Amino acid sequence: MSGPYVEQNAHIVLPKTDHDELSRQHFVRSFKEHIVESLHPGLKLAYEKRAKPKYLAKHQHEPNTIQEVADAMKPDQHYQAWSSLLRTSQEMMWSSTQIPVERAITDLAATSTNQMTLGSLSLNPELKIPDYHTAVDIHCQPGGYHTEYIEGDVAQGAIYDRAVYLYAMGQMGSNNADMGDSTVAWLRQTHPEFTPTRILDMGCAVGHSTLPYANGYPEAEVHAIDVAAPMLRYAHARASAMGSTIHFSQQNAEHTEFEEGSFDLVVSHILLHETSSAAIKNVIKECFRLLRPGGWMLHVETPPYEGMEPFDKFLFDWDSENNNEPFWRKSHQLDLKGLARDAGFSREILQIMVPSAFQETQRTNTFQGGDFGGGGVWFVYGCQK
Amino acid sequence: MVRLWVPKVRESSADEQLELQRKAKGKRPYYFSNPDVDKLLSMIMALTGELAIARDRIDTLERVAAAKKLFSSEDIENFELDAKALEARAGRHKQLLREVNRIIIGELEDLEGADEEDYSAVVEQVESDDR
Repeated sequence: MSGPYVEQNAHIVLPKTDHDELSRQHFVRSFKEHIVESLHPGLKLAYEKRAKPKYLAKHQHEPNTIQEVADAMKPDQHYQAWSSLLRTSQEMMWSSTQIPVERAITDLAATSTNQMTLGSLSLNPELKIPDYHTAVDIHCQPGGYHTEYIEGDVAQGAIYDRAVYLYAMGQMGSNNADMGDSTVAWLRQTHPEFTPTRILDMGCAVGHSTLPYANGYPEAEVHAIDVAAPMLRYAHARASAMGSTIHFSQQNAEHTEFEEGSFDLVVSHILLHETSSAAIKNVIKECFRLLRPGGWMLHVETPPYEGMEPFDKFLFDWDSENNNEPFWRKSHQLDLKGLARDAGFSREILQIMVPSAFQETQRTNTFQGGDFGGGGVWFVYGCQK
Repeated sequence: MVRLWVPKVRESSADEQLELQRKAKGKRPYYFSNPDVDKLLSMIMALTGELAIARDRIDTLERVAAAKKLFSSEDIENFELDAKALEARAGRHKQLLREVNRIIIGELEDLEGADEEDYSAVVEQVESDDR
Protein backbone atom coordinates (compact mmCIF):
# COMPACT_ATOMS: atom_id res chain seq x y z
CA MET A 1 0.00 0.00 0.00
CA SER A 2 1.48 3.36 -0.94
CA GLY A 3 0.56 6.85 0.16
CA PRO A 4 0.09 8.16 3.69
CA TYR A 5 -1.78 6.09 6.27
CA VAL A 6 -5.41 7.21 6.05
CA GLU A 7 -7.17 7.00 9.42
CA GLN A 8 -10.91 7.41 9.69
CA ASN A 9 -12.32 10.85 10.45
CA ALA A 10 -13.10 10.71 14.19
CA HIS A 11 -16.52 12.37 14.15
CA ILE A 12 -18.29 12.66 17.51
CA VAL A 13 -20.50 9.54 17.22
CA LEU A 14 -17.74 7.20 16.07
CA PRO A 15 -17.25 4.68 18.92
CA LYS A 16 -14.30 5.49 21.18
CA THR A 17 -11.60 2.85 21.53
CA ASP A 18 -8.99 2.30 24.20
CA HIS A 19 -5.36 1.68 23.26
CA ASP A 20 -5.65 -2.06 22.77
CA GLU A 21 -9.04 -1.96 21.04
CA LEU A 22 -7.66 0.48 18.50
CA SER A 23 -4.59 -1.66 18.03
CA ARG A 24 -6.79 -4.72 17.48
CA GLN A 25 -8.66 -2.86 14.73
CA HIS A 26 -5.46 -1.65 13.09
CA PHE A 27 -4.16 -5.21 13.13
CA VAL A 28 -7.22 -6.32 11.17
CA ARG A 29 -6.53 -3.65 8.58
CA SER A 30 -2.90 -4.82 8.35
CA PHE A 31 -4.08 -8.42 8.10
CA LYS A 32 -6.35 -7.53 5.18
CA GLU A 33 -3.54 -5.63 3.46
CA HIS A 34 -1.31 -8.66 3.95
CA ILE A 35 -3.91 -10.90 2.28
CA VAL A 36 -4.22 -8.50 -0.65
CA GLU A 37 -0.50 -7.91 -1.14
CA SER A 38 1.10 -11.21 -0.21
CA LEU A 39 -1.50 -13.95 -0.65
CA HIS A 40 -3.85 -12.79 -3.38
CA PRO A 41 -1.23 -12.73 -6.17
CA GLY A 42 -0.48 -16.40 -5.48
CA LEU A 43 -3.99 -17.42 -6.55
CA LYS A 44 -3.31 -16.81 -10.23
CA LEU A 45 0.03 -18.57 -9.90
CA ALA A 46 -1.56 -21.58 -8.20
CA TYR A 47 -4.23 -21.67 -10.90
CA GLU A 48 -1.85 -21.50 -13.85
CA LYS A 49 0.85 -23.80 -12.48
CA ARG A 50 -1.14 -26.30 -10.51
CA ALA A 51 -4.93 -26.22 -10.64
CA LYS A 52 -5.48 -25.64 -14.36
CA PRO A 53 -2.98 -28.28 -15.61
CA LYS A 54 -4.57 -30.85 -13.27
CA TYR A 55 -8.04 -29.94 -14.51
CA LEU A 56 -6.88 -30.04 -18.12
CA ALA A 57 -5.36 -33.50 -17.71
CA LYS A 58 -8.55 -34.82 -16.18
CA HIS A 59 -11.15 -33.15 -18.42
CA GLN A 60 -9.22 -32.50 -21.68
CA HIS A 61 -10.40 -28.89 -21.70
CA GLU A 62 -9.69 -25.71 -19.75
CA PRO A 63 -12.14 -24.56 -17.07
CA ASN A 64 -14.66 -22.29 -18.78
CA THR A 65 -17.27 -21.51 -16.17
CA ILE A 66 -17.27 -20.32 -12.55
CA GLN A 67 -18.17 -23.87 -11.50
CA GLU A 68 -15.36 -25.42 -13.55
CA VAL A 69 -12.77 -23.00 -12.15
CA ALA A 70 -14.17 -23.77 -8.70
CA ASP A 71 -13.73 -27.51 -9.32
CA ALA A 72 -10.12 -26.81 -10.28
CA MET A 73 -9.30 -24.36 -7.47
CA LYS A 74 -11.16 -25.61 -4.41
CA PRO A 75 -8.78 -28.55 -3.82
CA ASP A 76 -5.74 -26.24 -4.21
CA GLN A 77 -3.88 -25.64 -0.95
CA HIS A 78 -3.15 -21.97 -1.63
CA TYR A 79 -6.78 -21.27 -2.46
CA GLN A 80 -7.82 -23.05 0.73
CA ALA A 81 -5.37 -21.07 2.86
CA TRP A 82 -6.31 -17.75 1.22
CA SER A 83 -10.04 -18.39 1.61
CA SER A 84 -9.67 -19.54 5.18
CA LEU A 85 -7.64 -16.44 6.10
CA LEU A 86 -9.94 -14.05 4.20
CA ARG A 87 -12.97 -15.46 5.98
CA THR A 88 -11.11 -15.24 9.29
CA SER A 89 -10.11 -11.62 8.62
CA GLN A 90 -13.77 -10.80 8.02
CA GLU A 91 -14.76 -12.39 11.34
CA MET A 92 -11.93 -10.60 13.17
CA MET A 93 -13.01 -7.32 11.58
CA TRP A 94 -16.51 -7.63 13.01
CA SER A 95 -15.23 -8.81 16.37
CA SER A 96 -12.74 -5.94 16.69
CA THR A 97 -15.44 -3.39 15.89
CA GLN A 98 -18.03 -5.02 18.13
CA ILE A 99 -15.88 -4.95 21.28
CA PRO A 100 -15.85 -1.17 21.88
CA VAL A 101 -19.52 -0.89 20.88
CA GLU A 102 -20.66 -3.68 23.18
CA ARG A 103 -19.03 -1.99 26.17
CA ALA A 104 -20.50 1.46 25.41
CA ILE A 105 -23.82 0.59 23.79
CA THR A 106 -25.98 2.73 26.11
CA ASP A 107 -23.66 5.77 25.91
CA LEU A 108 -23.52 5.49 22.13
CA ALA A 109 -27.30 5.58 21.90
CA ALA A 110 -27.42 8.64 24.17
CA THR A 111 -24.63 10.47 22.32
CA SER A 112 -26.35 9.79 19.01
CA THR A 113 -29.71 11.02 20.26
CA ASN A 114 -28.11 14.26 21.47
CA GLN A 115 -26.36 14.69 18.16
CA MET A 116 -29.50 14.54 15.99
CA THR A 117 -29.73 18.27 15.40
CA LEU A 118 -29.74 18.73 11.61
CA GLY A 119 -32.16 17.23 9.08
CA SER A 120 -34.71 14.69 10.26
CA LEU A 121 -35.31 11.04 11.12
CA SER A 122 -38.52 9.13 10.60
CA LEU A 123 -38.69 5.52 11.76
CA ASN A 124 -41.42 3.01 10.98
CA PRO A 125 -41.42 0.11 13.48
CA GLU A 126 -44.14 -1.55 11.41
CA LEU A 127 -41.93 -1.86 8.33
CA LYS A 128 -41.29 -5.50 7.43
CA ILE A 129 -37.58 -6.21 7.15
CA PRO A 130 -37.39 -8.07 3.82
CA ASP A 131 -36.49 -11.77 3.75
CA TYR A 132 -33.42 -11.14 1.57
CA HIS A 133 -32.15 -9.06 4.46
CA THR A 134 -32.81 -11.47 7.30
CA ALA A 135 -32.11 -14.88 5.68
CA VAL A 136 -28.40 -14.54 6.48
CA ASP A 137 -26.40 -11.71 8.07
CA ILE A 138 -25.09 -9.69 5.12
CA HIS A 139 -21.25 -9.49 4.87
CA CYS A 140 -21.18 -11.72 7.97
CA GLN A 141 -21.96 -8.78 10.28
CA PRO A 142 -23.41 -10.61 13.29
CA GLY A 143 -27.00 -9.42 13.65
CA GLY A 144 -27.09 -7.90 10.17
CA TYR A 145 -28.13 -4.29 9.70
CA HIS A 146 -31.42 -4.50 11.52
CA THR A 147 -30.88 -6.11 14.94
CA GLU A 148 -31.66 -3.86 17.91
CA TYR A 149 -30.45 -4.57 21.43
CA ILE A 150 -31.73 -1.57 23.40
CA GLU A 151 -34.12 1.37 23.04
CA GLY A 152 -32.76 3.91 20.53
CA ASP A 153 -30.00 1.49 19.56
CA VAL A 154 -27.25 2.51 17.12
CA ALA A 155 -24.92 -0.46 17.70
CA GLN A 156 -25.17 -2.05 14.25
CA GLY A 157 -24.58 1.33 12.59
CA ALA A 158 -21.63 2.16 14.83
CA ILE A 159 -20.05 -1.24 14.16
CA TYR A 160 -20.66 -0.92 10.43
CA ASP A 161 -19.11 2.57 10.20
CA ARG A 162 -15.79 1.42 11.61
CA ALA A 163 -15.85 -1.98 9.85
CA VAL A 164 -16.26 -0.39 6.41
CA TYR A 165 -13.11 1.65 7.05
CA LEU A 166 -11.20 -1.50 8.02
CA TYR A 167 -12.67 -3.50 5.15
CA ALA A 168 -11.64 -0.85 2.64
CA MET A 169 -8.25 -0.52 4.39
CA GLY A 170 -8.73 3.25 4.30
CA GLN A 171 -9.04 3.11 0.50
CA MET A 172 -12.46 4.76 0.53
CA GLY A 173 -11.06 7.86 2.23
CA SER A 174 -11.34 9.08 5.81
CA ASN A 175 -15.15 9.29 5.57
CA ASN A 176 -15.69 6.03 3.64
CA ALA A 177 -17.22 8.29 1.00
CA ASP A 178 -15.52 7.14 -2.19
CA MET A 179 -18.59 5.71 -3.93
CA GLY A 180 -20.59 8.90 -3.47
CA ASP A 181 -17.60 11.17 -4.12
CA SER A 182 -16.73 9.35 -7.36
CA THR A 183 -20.30 9.46 -8.66
CA VAL A 184 -20.81 13.12 -7.79
CA ALA A 185 -17.47 13.98 -9.44
CA TRP A 186 -18.50 12.10 -12.60
CA LEU A 187 -21.97 13.67 -12.67
CA ARG A 188 -20.68 17.21 -12.18
CA GLN A 189 -18.01 16.73 -14.83
CA THR A 190 -20.15 15.07 -17.50
CA HIS A 191 -23.44 16.88 -16.80
CA PRO A 192 -22.49 20.30 -15.40
CA GLU A 193 -25.90 21.67 -16.39
CA PHE A 194 -27.69 19.11 -14.17
CA THR A 195 -28.58 20.75 -10.85
CA PRO A 196 -30.84 18.46 -8.83
CA THR A 197 -33.05 20.08 -6.24
CA ARG A 198 -34.28 16.85 -4.62
CA ILE A 199 -32.09 13.77 -4.21
CA LEU A 200 -32.85 10.30 -2.83
CA ASP A 201 -30.24 7.77 -1.68
CA MET A 202 -31.69 4.26 -1.43
CA GLY A 203 -30.26 1.73 1.02
CA CYS A 204 -28.11 4.38 2.65
CA ALA A 205 -26.90 2.36 5.70
CA VAL A 206 -24.95 4.92 7.79
CA GLY A 207 -24.86 7.48 4.99
CA HIS A 208 -21.25 7.03 3.84
CA SER A 209 -22.31 7.68 0.23
CA THR A 210 -25.15 10.07 1.04
CA LEU A 211 -23.10 12.95 2.42
CA PRO A 212 -21.18 13.53 -0.86
CA TYR A 213 -24.48 14.46 -2.56
CA ALA A 214 -25.32 16.98 0.15
CA ASN A 215 -21.82 18.43 -0.21
CA GLY A 216 -21.79 18.29 -4.02
CA TYR A 217 -25.25 19.83 -4.42
CA PRO A 218 -25.61 22.12 -1.39
CA GLU A 219 -28.86 23.63 -2.73
CA ALA A 220 -30.59 20.25 -2.95
CA GLU A 221 -32.88 18.62 -0.40
CA VAL A 222 -31.33 15.24 0.30
CA HIS A 223 -33.33 12.20 1.46
CA ALA A 224 -31.97 8.80 2.41
CA ILE A 225 -33.80 5.55 3.16
CA ASP A 226 -32.92 2.17 4.60
CA VAL A 227 -34.87 -0.71 6.13
CA ALA A 228 -32.69 -0.86 9.26
CA ALA A 229 -33.47 1.46 12.18
CA PRO A 230 -30.06 1.20 13.98
CA MET A 231 -28.32 2.25 10.75
CA LEU A 232 -30.65 5.22 10.27
CA ARG A 233 -30.32 6.51 13.85
CA TYR A 234 -26.56 6.37 13.59
CA ALA A 235 -26.63 7.85 10.07
CA HIS A 236 -28.70 10.79 11.26
CA ALA A 237 -26.40 11.48 14.21
CA ARG A 238 -23.30 11.07 12.04
CA ALA A 239 -24.59 13.37 9.29
CA SER A 240 -25.50 16.00 11.90
CA ALA A 241 -22.10 15.65 13.56
CA MET A 242 -20.47 16.20 10.19
CA GLY A 243 -22.62 19.25 9.45
CA SER A 244 -24.87 17.71 6.78
CA THR A 245 -28.61 18.24 6.62
CA ILE A 246 -30.19 15.00 5.44
CA HIS A 247 -33.69 13.59 5.88
CA PHE A 248 -33.54 9.93 6.85
CA SER A 249 -36.52 7.61 6.85
CA GLN A 250 -37.09 3.90 7.37
CA GLN A 251 -38.47 2.68 4.07
CA ASN A 252 -38.03 -0.17 1.63
CA ALA A 253 -36.64 0.97 -1.75
CA GLU A 254 -39.03 -1.41 -3.52
CA HIS A 255 -42.06 0.69 -2.54
CA THR A 256 -41.51 4.08 -0.90
CA GLU A 257 -43.98 6.60 0.45
CA PHE A 258 -42.58 9.44 -1.65
CA GLU A 259 -44.72 11.06 -4.30
CA GLU A 260 -44.45 10.19 -7.98
CA GLY A 261 -42.05 12.42 -9.92
CA SER A 262 -40.71 14.04 -6.76
CA PHE A 263 -36.95 13.57 -7.30
CA ASP A 264 -34.36 14.78 -9.82
CA LEU A 265 -31.79 12.23 -8.79
CA VAL A 266 -32.24 8.76 -7.28
CA VAL A 267 -29.07 6.88 -6.39
CA SER A 268 -27.94 3.72 -4.60
CA HIS A 269 -24.54 2.35 -3.68
CA ILE A 270 -23.89 -1.41 -3.54
CA LEU A 271 -27.58 -1.87 -2.76
CA LEU A 272 -28.75 -3.90 -5.77
CA HIS A 273 -26.65 -6.98 -5.02
CA GLU A 274 -28.15 -7.15 -1.51
CA THR A 275 -31.71 -7.61 -2.83
CA SER A 276 -33.39 -10.42 -4.80
CA SER A 277 -34.62 -11.17 -8.33
CA ALA A 278 -38.07 -9.76 -7.55
CA ALA A 279 -36.85 -6.90 -5.37
CA ILE A 280 -34.34 -5.54 -7.90
CA LYS A 281 -37.15 -5.22 -10.48
CA ASN A 282 -39.28 -3.37 -7.95
CA VAL A 283 -36.41 -1.03 -7.03
CA ILE A 284 -35.79 -0.03 -10.67
CA LYS A 285 -39.55 0.47 -11.19
CA GLU A 286 -39.69 2.59 -8.05
CA CYS A 287 -36.81 4.73 -9.34
CA PHE A 288 -38.76 5.33 -12.54
CA ARG A 289 -41.88 6.28 -10.57
CA LEU A 290 -40.01 8.67 -8.28
CA LEU A 291 -38.12 10.54 -10.99
CA ARG A 292 -39.42 13.60 -12.77
CA PRO A 293 -38.82 13.63 -16.56
CA GLY A 294 -35.14 14.47 -17.14
CA GLY A 295 -34.14 13.12 -13.75
CA TRP A 296 -31.35 10.57 -13.32
CA MET A 297 -31.28 7.09 -11.78
CA LEU A 298 -27.72 6.00 -10.85
CA HIS A 299 -26.79 2.74 -9.13
CA VAL A 300 -23.17 2.28 -8.09
CA GLU A 301 -22.09 -1.35 -8.07
CA THR A 302 -19.14 -3.62 -8.62
CA PRO A 303 -18.69 -4.59 -12.30
CA PRO A 304 -20.83 -7.28 -13.99
CA TYR A 305 -19.12 -10.58 -14.86
CA GLU A 306 -19.69 -10.20 -18.59
CA GLY A 307 -16.42 -10.10 -20.53
CA MET A 308 -14.31 -11.33 -17.61
CA GLU A 309 -11.99 -14.35 -17.84
CA PRO A 310 -13.46 -17.43 -16.11
CA PHE A 311 -10.75 -17.27 -13.43
CA ASP A 312 -11.52 -13.60 -12.64
CA LYS A 313 -15.24 -14.38 -12.52
CA PHE A 314 -14.54 -17.15 -10.03
CA LEU A 315 -12.49 -14.92 -7.72
CA PHE A 316 -14.93 -12.07 -8.06
CA ASP A 317 -17.67 -14.49 -7.11
CA TRP A 318 -16.00 -15.50 -3.81
CA ASP A 319 -18.35 -13.35 -1.74
CA SER A 320 -21.43 -15.19 -3.02
CA GLU A 321 -20.69 -18.31 -1.03
CA ASN A 322 -18.14 -17.10 1.45
CA ASN A 323 -19.24 -13.69 2.71
CA ASN A 324 -23.02 -14.07 3.00
CA GLU A 325 -23.88 -12.42 -0.32
CA PRO A 326 -26.59 -14.75 -1.63
CA PHE A 327 -27.69 -12.49 -4.52
CA TRP A 328 -24.17 -11.48 -5.56
CA ARG A 329 -23.73 -14.05 -8.36
CA LYS A 330 -27.13 -13.55 -9.96
CA SER A 331 -27.02 -9.76 -9.62
CA HIS A 332 -23.70 -9.61 -11.48
CA GLN A 333 -25.12 -11.55 -14.43
CA LEU A 334 -28.45 -9.76 -14.94
CA ASP A 335 -29.71 -8.12 -18.11
CA LEU A 336 -29.50 -4.62 -16.69
CA LYS A 337 -30.64 -3.02 -19.92
CA GLY A 338 -33.79 -5.16 -20.00
CA LEU A 339 -34.41 -4.39 -16.35
CA ALA A 340 -34.45 -0.64 -17.03
CA ARG A 341 -36.55 -1.00 -20.19
CA ASP A 342 -39.13 -3.11 -18.33
CA ALA A 343 -39.34 -0.41 -15.67
CA GLY A 344 -40.16 2.21 -18.32
CA PHE A 345 -36.79 3.84 -19.02
CA SER A 346 -36.51 4.54 -22.76
CA ARG A 347 -33.32 6.61 -23.12
CA GLU A 348 -29.78 5.24 -23.47
CA ILE A 349 -28.89 2.89 -20.62
CA LEU A 350 -25.69 3.82 -18.86
CA GLN A 351 -23.26 1.01 -17.93
CA ILE A 352 -19.89 2.63 -17.35
CA MET A 353 -16.80 2.48 -15.20
CA VAL A 354 -16.29 5.64 -13.16
CA PRO A 355 -12.81 6.37 -11.75
CA SER A 356 -12.47 6.41 -7.98
CA ALA A 357 -12.31 9.95 -6.66
CA PHE A 358 -10.00 8.83 -3.87
CA GLN A 359 -7.59 7.16 -6.26
CA GLU A 360 -7.19 10.47 -8.05
CA THR A 361 -5.08 11.43 -5.07
CA GLN A 362 -3.69 8.30 -3.48
CA ARG A 363 -5.66 5.14 -4.03
CA THR A 364 -3.81 2.07 -5.22
CA ASN A 365 -5.41 -0.97 -6.80
CA THR A 366 -6.51 -3.38 -4.13
CA PHE A 367 -8.58 -6.49 -4.41
CA GLN A 368 -9.66 -8.96 -1.79
CA GLY A 369 -12.64 -11.09 -2.69
CA GLY A 370 -15.16 -9.59 -4.98
CA ASP A 371 -16.14 -6.45 -3.13
CA PHE A 372 -14.83 -3.08 -4.22
CA GLY A 373 -14.36 -4.18 -7.76
CA GLY A 374 -10.63 -4.60 -7.99
CA GLY A 375 -9.99 -1.06 -6.89
CA GLY A 376 -9.73 2.17 -8.76
CA VAL A 377 -13.11 2.16 -10.49
CA TRP A 378 -16.81 1.87 -9.74
CA PHE A 379 -19.44 0.46 -12.05
CA VAL A 380 -22.33 2.83 -12.58
CA TYR A 381 -25.63 1.65 -14.02
CA GLY A 382 -28.41 4.10 -14.72
CA CYS A 383 -30.61 6.04 -17.04
CA GLN A 384 -32.17 9.44 -17.47
CA LYS A 385 -35.96 9.50 -17.43
CA MET B 1 -23.23 -20.01 28.93
CA VAL B 2 -26.22 -17.74 29.16
CA ARG B 3 -26.76 -15.70 26.02
CA LEU B 4 -28.08 -12.28 26.97
CA TRP B 5 -28.64 -11.25 23.39
CA VAL B 6 -32.23 -11.14 22.16
CA PRO B 7 -33.07 -9.96 18.65
CA LYS B 8 -35.58 -7.26 19.59
CA VAL B 9 -35.82 -3.97 21.41
CA ARG B 10 -35.96 -4.12 25.17
CA GLU B 11 -35.19 -2.05 28.21
CA SER B 12 -31.57 -2.01 29.30
CA SER B 13 -30.58 -1.83 32.90
CA ALA B 14 -27.37 -0.39 34.28
CA ASP B 15 -26.24 -3.49 36.15
CA GLU B 16 -26.47 -5.80 33.16
CA GLN B 17 -23.75 -5.92 30.51
CA LEU B 18 -25.27 -6.71 27.14
CA GLU B 19 -23.64 -9.29 24.93
CA LEU B 20 -23.86 -8.68 21.22
CA GLN B 21 -24.54 -11.54 18.84
CA ARG B 22 -21.05 -12.70 17.86
CA LYS B 23 -21.77 -15.30 15.18
CA ALA B 24 -23.21 -14.16 11.85
CA LYS B 25 -26.37 -15.94 10.77
CA GLY B 26 -25.51 -18.23 7.84
CA LYS B 27 -23.52 -21.47 7.65
CA ARG B 28 -19.78 -20.93 8.10
CA PRO B 29 -17.81 -22.40 5.16
CA TYR B 30 -14.61 -24.38 5.74
CA TYR B 31 -11.91 -24.73 3.14
CA PHE B 32 -9.40 -27.39 4.09
CA SER B 33 -10.28 -31.08 3.76
CA ASN B 34 -10.09 -31.15 7.54
CA PRO B 35 -12.06 -28.22 9.03
CA ASP B 36 -9.88 -28.39 12.14
CA VAL B 37 -7.13 -26.78 10.06
CA ASP B 38 -9.42 -23.80 9.41
CA LYS B 39 -10.19 -23.58 13.10
CA LEU B 40 -6.51 -23.73 14.04
CA LEU B 41 -5.67 -21.04 11.48
CA SER B 42 -8.40 -18.86 12.91
CA MET B 43 -6.98 -19.32 16.41
CA ILE B 44 -3.43 -18.60 15.22
CA MET B 45 -4.58 -15.36 13.58
CA ALA B 46 -6.44 -14.33 16.73
CA LEU B 47 -3.27 -15.02 18.75
CA THR B 48 -1.15 -13.13 16.21
CA GLY B 49 -3.54 -10.21 16.63
CA GLU B 50 -3.20 -10.28 20.40
CA LEU B 51 0.59 -10.47 20.04
CA ALA B 52 0.52 -7.42 17.77
CA ILE B 53 -1.59 -5.58 20.36
CA ALA B 54 0.90 -6.43 23.14
CA ARG B 55 3.81 -5.24 21.00
CA ASP B 56 1.93 -2.06 20.10
CA ARG B 57 1.44 -1.41 23.80
CA ILE B 58 5.15 -1.84 24.49
CA ASP B 59 5.86 0.48 21.58
CA THR B 60 3.51 3.08 23.06
CA LEU B 61 5.15 2.61 26.46
CA GLU B 62 8.58 3.32 25.00
CA ARG B 63 7.32 6.35 23.11
CA VAL B 64 5.60 7.77 26.20
CA ALA B 65 8.73 7.15 28.27
CA ALA B 66 10.85 8.91 25.65
CA ALA B 67 8.41 11.82 25.35
CA LYS B 68 8.39 12.20 29.14
CA LYS B 69 12.18 11.86 29.16
CA LEU B 70 12.05 8.85 31.49
CA PHE B 71 14.06 6.52 29.27
CA SER B 72 14.56 5.92 25.57
CA SER B 73 14.35 2.84 23.34
CA GLU B 74 18.13 3.02 23.25
CA ASP B 75 18.24 2.63 27.04
CA ILE B 76 16.27 -0.61 26.59
CA GLU B 77 18.62 -1.86 23.88
CA ASN B 78 21.67 -1.09 26.03
CA PHE B 79 20.28 -2.41 29.28
CA GLU B 80 22.31 -5.38 30.49
CA LEU B 81 20.40 -8.12 32.23
CA ASP B 82 22.25 -9.77 35.11
CA ALA B 83 22.36 -13.51 35.63
CA LYS B 84 19.47 -13.49 38.05
CA ALA B 85 17.21 -11.67 35.59
CA LEU B 86 18.21 -14.00 32.75
CA GLU B 87 17.47 -17.00 34.91
CA ALA B 88 14.03 -15.69 35.85
CA ARG B 89 13.27 -14.97 32.24
CA ALA B 90 14.39 -18.41 31.08
CA GLY B 91 12.13 -19.91 33.71
CA ARG B 92 9.17 -17.98 32.36
CA HIS B 93 9.99 -19.04 28.81
CA LYS B 94 10.04 -22.69 29.84
CA GLN B 95 6.77 -22.36 31.67
CA LEU B 96 5.16 -20.70 28.66
CA LEU B 97 6.49 -23.39 26.33
CA ARG B 98 5.20 -26.13 28.58
CA GLU B 99 1.77 -24.48 28.53
CA VAL B 100 1.72 -24.13 24.75
CA ASN B 101 2.94 -27.67 24.14
CA ARG B 102 0.87 -29.13 26.92
CA ILE B 103 -0.98 -31.53 24.62
CA ILE B 104 2.23 -33.05 23.25
CA ILE B 105 3.86 -33.29 26.66
CA GLY B 106 0.69 -34.82 28.04
CA GLU B 107 0.74 -37.56 25.42
CA LEU B 108 4.36 -38.29 26.24
CA GLU B 109 3.45 -38.64 29.88
CA ASP B 110 0.73 -41.10 28.89
CA LEU B 111 3.26 -43.07 26.90
CA GLU B 112 5.67 -43.07 29.82
CA GLY B 113 3.08 -44.48 32.20
CA ALA B 114 2.63 -47.53 30.01
CA ASP B 115 0.64 -49.21 32.74
CA GLU B 116 -2.00 -46.47 32.48
CA GLU B 117 -5.37 -47.99 31.79
CA ASP B 118 -7.47 -47.25 28.74
CA TYR B 119 -9.97 -44.41 29.47
CA SER B 120 -12.98 -46.58 28.64
CA ALA B 121 -11.74 -49.08 31.20
CA VAL B 122 -11.88 -46.32 33.82
CA VAL B 123 -15.44 -45.46 32.78
CA GLU B 124 -16.34 -49.11 33.04
CA GLN B 125 -14.71 -49.24 36.43
CA VAL B 126 -16.57 -46.29 37.95
CA GLU B 127 -19.86 -47.29 36.39
CA SER B 128 -19.70 -50.80 37.73
CA ASP B 129 -18.66 -49.59 41.15
CA ASP B 130 -21.64 -50.78 43.23
CA ARG B 131 -20.24 -50.27 46.71
